[in-house]
Amino acid sequence: MIETVGRVTREAVEAFGQAGKLTAEAARSSRDFKTWWPNFTQQARKLGVDSLPIGILIALFTGVVLALLASYSFTGWVPRYLVGTLVQKTVMMELAPVLTGLALAGRVGANIAAEIGTMRVTEQVDALETLSFDPIAYLVVPRVLAGIVMFPVVVGVAMFVGLGAGWVASMTLLDLSSQEFLKGARYFFDAFDVRYGLVKSASFGFAVTVLGCMNGLRARGGAQGVGASATSAVVQSAVMILVLDAFWAMVWLLGRAR
Amino acid sequence: MKGTRSNDWMVGLAILGAMVLVVASTLYLQQADLGEKRTGISARFRDVGNLQVGNVVVIRGVRSGKVRSIELAEDGWVLVDMDLDEGIRLPVDPVALIQSSSLLGEFQALIAARSGVPHIREVETQLSDTLNAPPQALPGAVLPDIAQLTTVAGGIAGNVASVAERVRTAFDDSAARELRTSIRNFTTLSHDLANAVRKQSRNLDSIAVDVRSSMDALSQTSASLRNTASRVDTATSGGEIANIIKETELATANLRAASARINDLMISLERSESNLRGVIGKADSVMGKVNRGEGSLGLLINDQSLYRNSDSLLVDLRTLINDFRKDPKRYFALRVF
Repeated sequence: MIETVGRVTREAVEAFGQAGKLTAEAARSSRDFKTWWPNFTQQARKLGVDSLPIGILIALFTGVVLALLASYSFTGWVPRYLVGTLVQKTVMMELAPVLTGLALAGRVGANIAAEIGTMRVTEQVDALETLSFDPIAYLVVPRVLAGIVMFPVVVGVAMFVGLGAGWVASMTLLDLSSQEFLKGARYFFDAFDVRYGLVKSASFGFAVTVLGCMNGLRARGGAQGVGASATSAVVQSAVMILVLDAFWAMVWLLGRAR
Repeated sequence: MKGTRSNDWMVGLAILGAMVLVVASTLYLQQADLGEKRTGISARFRDVGNLQVGNVVVIRGVRSGKVRSIELAEDGWVLVDMDLDEGIRLPVDPVALIQSSSLLGEFQALIAARSGVPHIREVETQLSDTLNAPPQALPGAVLPDIAQLTTVAGGIAGNVASVAERVRTAFDDSAARELRTSIRNFTTLSHDLANAVRKQSRNLDSIAVDVRSSMDALSQTSASLRNTASRVDTATSGGEIANIIKETELATANLRAASARINDLMISLERSESNLRGVIGKADSVMGKVNRGEGSLGLLINDQSLYRNSDSLLVDLRTLINDFRKDPKRYFALRVF
């Protein structure tokens, strides 16, 4: 048992170390603009644009559920316009970034890990090195940059859709007037809410893509190894999203609350 | 190449679309005014409470602008700059008041005419504090918020509760009973006093009648004396003067008797009053003891258990006698052998 604890700890620290090392290599390789730029938009489309439907779908249902939940919770003397406040704050600051991030961790993280893992086990990565291509610049940098740029795009659209869904649900299902909902949404609105959600989602994009690339490059063996690396990428990305969520809350919200 | 251009187009569209959505949503929720002309005014306060940049400015209940900035100024002032919507006219002799706009801790700046400011001493003091005030700034004050009002109301409620508790403690059931008894005693006392006064009044009336008759007799005597005196010189026959003297002596005796009766009556009245006071004092003392449950009578009246015990004793005694009549052998065992 002691050996197991030691091995798990070592692997976790190793994973952090490898992710850090990969990040440093990617930062160094980002100077090789000619290698990664042609792949950037392709990755941005695959990771971001193609992920918009799932982000919109999640936000749609999240907004509706939040409006109903707020209406259920706010009874008695609590003003009904606070439904708008709750939907606005929760969608923009928490649910749109985190739920979209978790969905993209499954879709994007697994995709990256499986793709790079397959290239690794079929020795295509070695072939790139043989052809004097920097595999980090060719495979990792465009994906990481696409993740950092496109996650906020998907989350921004999800914020808009989630707020709109909550607005429509409040009017149609809760008999709340449009003015009441907007009053609540505007009452405590701060541009910081949007900034906080977008910065957080950019960090999620970075974590998901770096972990996907790292697990893909670590893949060994055949299809089994590729599957294991994809699973690890999804699990690690999901955990990392929650860790980063807590990190940003402590860094930004704790300071503002005081 | 075509695929790359398609990707570029799609990615660019997604990024631009998301940016437009986010920026537009933010501006809409912030109620930002793009290109709208605004009028700036400033107000000075000693304290701005929870007022924050972006809070609304209200004139006669209508949202008319926003708080642009809040900054500390010289001589202990806080300068609040506000942007008013285009075309807004300030009331005559305007002042700025900071007040809470909801129970949730939101504040707003209210611009009102000085004559419409609530008559609250602290507010008036703040508004009239013009010494070293920044120029071109409206006088400002902070209205007490709901927390302060509830604190004061809480204190008042506590005091009322304390007073009510004291009244309840002081005016308990026994106090009410004693008060009722005192009122009853006082009624009896006033009734007795009225009777006594009525009796003495009758006596005084009688005395007054006697005095009046004596005075009449005296005046008649005086008249007779005057006549006698007038005739002294002429009258020569004896006996008239002697009669006059006799009548005078009689009147004097009557007067003396009347005076003695008055003295007796006064002494009697004083004695009656003293007796009455003693009787009232004793009755009050006795009633007090009875009410406090002192003595046999008090115990009998106030301690119901005594009555119940006595009643129970009688019942037991009656039962015992009946039982004794029914079966005397239970109590007397006559054994010959």
